[in-house]
Amino acid sequence: MRQLFALALTIAVVWFVVAGTGIVPNDPRLTALALGFCLIAAALSGELLERFGLPRVTGYLMFGMVCGPYVLNIITRPMARELQLINGLAVVLIAFIAGLEMNIERLRPRLRAMLQLGGISMLGLYIGLFGTFWLTWSWLGLGVDVSLIQKAAIVGVLTTVVASYSPTVTIALITESRASGPLSELTLAVVILADLLLILMFTLVVQFVRYAFGGTGEIGLFVSLSWEIFGSFAFGAGVGALFAFYLRYVGREVAVALVAVCAIIAGVGSQLHIEPLLAALAAGLVVENIAPPRGDMLKEAAERGALPVLVVFFAAAGASLQLDALAVIGWVAIAVSAVRMALIWGSMKVGAKYARIDPAVGDKVWMGMVSQAGVTLGLTLIIAGEYPTWGSRVQTLVVSLIALHQFVGPVLFRAALSRAGEIGKMDAETADV
Amino acid sequence: MPSVAGALFRITATLRTRAALGLRPVTAPVMLFLPLGAVLGPSGANILSSAALGHLDVVISVVLATLGVFIGIAAGTQRGASVGRLMTASTVEAAVTILSVGGATYVLLRAWEMPSAITYTLVALTLGLCASASAAPSVDDSSDQTRRVAARVADLDDVLPIVLGGVALSLIGSGDRMVLLDVALSIGLGLAIAASGWLLFELSEGAERDVFVLGTLALLGGAAAYLETSPLLAGLSAGWLWAQAPGQTERVVATHLRKVQHPLVVILLITAGASLQPSVAGVWLFAPYLVFRTVGKLTGGWLASRLAPGVAPSDLGAYLIPPGVIGIAFALNVLQVASTPALPLVFAVSAGAVVSEMLAVIVTPAPRPV
Repeated sequence: MRQLFALALTIAVVWFVVAGTGIVPNDPRLTALALGFCLIAAALSGELLERFGLPRVTGYLMFGMVCGPYVLNIITRPMARELQLINGLAVVLIAFIAGLEMNIERLRPRLRAMLQLGGISMLGLYIGLFGTFWLTWSWLGLGVDVSLIQKAAIVGVLTTVVASYSPTVTIALITESRASGPLSELTLAVVILADLLLILMFTLVVQFVRYAFGGTGEIGLFVSLSWEIFGSFAFGAGVGALFAFYLRYVGREVAVALVAVCAIIAGVGSQLHIEPLLAALAAGLVVENIAPPRGDMLKEAAERGALPVLVVFFAAAGASLQLDALAVIGWVAIAVSAVRMALIWGSMKVGAKYARIDPAVGDKVWMGMVSQAGVTLGLTLIIAGEYPTWGSRVQTLVVSLIALHQFVGPVLFRAALSRAGEIGKMDAETADV
Repeated sequence: MPSVAGALFRITATLRTRAALGLRPVTAPVMLFLPLGAVLGPSGANILSSAALGHLDVVISVVLATLGVFIGIAAGTQRGASVGRLMTASTVEAAVTILSVGGATYVLLRAWEMPSAITYTLVALTLGLCASASAAPSVDDSSDQTRRVAARVADLDDVLPIVLGGVALSLIGSGDRMVLLDVALSIGLGLAIAASGWLLFELSEGAERDVFVLGTLALLGGAAAYLETSPLLAGLSAGWLWAQAPGQTERVVATHLRKVQHPLVVILLITAGASLQPSVAGVWLFAPYLVFRTVGKLTGGWLASRLAPGVAPSDLGAYLIPPGVIGIAFALNVLQVASTPALPLVFAVSAGAVVSEMLAVIVTPAPRPV
């Protein structure tokens, strides 16, 4: 009751400040207000939804959506835009935590099975989606006057983008629900593998699109692809090694140092054109596997630091959901989403069987693969910017899919974790240690 | 060469001895991070570019609110029969410093006819308010009575400048609202957000409580900055309410704030350092600021010691010379509202803080036997 009262009071204060005063200030001043509002109100919403067995991240998302520009407009468009500034930092921190959770020694016995599952399921998903989009071309409304090769290129792009998963949401959900166990590890490994494949596939497909639409392919793109993957790992590993050195020999203000490391990866990473998610993952892997810190100070700092970042990240995502896109292309999006989920389910089932993964785990992995988020959106923005005619139509479809999958994905994955009995196991392991 | 080494040894040995006697160390945060900020800022290496400073503006609003909360809690938790007298003593000391610096600056500005986009009255008032804040000396079991009283006076002497700062900001801001309305808005916002925090903090724990405390501070700073009112005043009101409210809220908040205190102060000082743009106006303002602040603190401390119980009159003012970060924080707050015309004020206050810290090494008294 006290929490509901606090939520009402917070909303009233922010509403008074934003709407009641009618002042239109400079953009940077919005950020602190938006941050504060999201931290308090979204956290409370998440807690409220958890009581109904739903993931907290869904609460954060719903808060963002309800208070965002399309519904109550308490988080105005400029506020939502300002909140996006934290996204870079959030993705890096989330990936760093994922790296910390990946102990190679522990994963080694299952590595082969993970690779088999990831490879087979991705292959099945790509083939299935390509075929579906090819056959339903006229319903997608992506362009009538295109040659066969151009159609193949557009379908290829759409397949690559729609097939993508969201490592961020998966990692966030594992962190938030304190889950640990074979399902969490398997899902995490597959989404990260899929993310690497996505970068590779997207680069190849964009080359093909440029060729199909009369542009010239760039050999430089392959160089940049190599840089993006290997450079990211090398940069992240270097930063991780330095951080491990700091933890071992200084070991003070760990939370602040962690945020600084994440800010460096996010900031310098974008300057160097590397993939921050991969770099942060590599940094976490190095710290965990090569120079693990003594005691739990880093994990404690990361876990404490993760919650505010997750709250703001998902509330911002909710506020930025383009609900108008869903309204425009709703039925097509729902149909595509259903096909995607069915293909994920089927290909995961086949992959798990081939890789001889325990059915108790293998049958549930698909539920962790439904979410989609920022990376997917980023890729469609590139396409829409380069090919405005059909690219913007692809963008509308993908934005609608993201809106759907951001809500469905976390609910499904939490249900899977709950059925596998892995929720809260991270705390139990820490206690055992 | 040996003579130089010998001289250096003697100086450092003296400093070590005096530090052991209760002097402030020469590496106060102000002396380290302000110059570092200046080196990193646009006037230096430009690692902290103007765009980066724009982003840090967001953090500064939160830092200002946090400092306000610190002072609000410190003022609100003062207990004992002498609180009323101490509050009066602190207010007198702060008022004397404001009058000393403000009055002298106003007279000099008029005499120099210095060009300024901000009115002379507001420049004088702002400098006076920045000058009146003091850093509380650290206190432990071995501290003497004067040091203990000085710590409490230094906590309380920030209250008056923060309240008057709300007025000054309103006058400097371009808004057409009434001054009293702005001040009431700051206080009202602070109290409303604090009430929300009070409902949340004690029921939560761990990382969740971190989220609520962080959110409340961001909301305090953000709401005040959005309305161009004083985040310091909003934070002060919130801190005071938490200190008065039933339960342990002020302890919960203070515990959490201690974790972020150092990083926040570092960010504030580096931002202030990076914002420094040496100018003739800044240098001209710096000299009277430093001189009349020292005069104001010594005189104010002497007067305050008449009201404070059991304090050596010669010592209290000397303890209050280290300026701490509140003055710099307020100068940055004015910079947020007034933009470029406030740059000379930031320079004068920052340079004044560094020199005052140096001065404090020499004049801070050794402890008397307990």
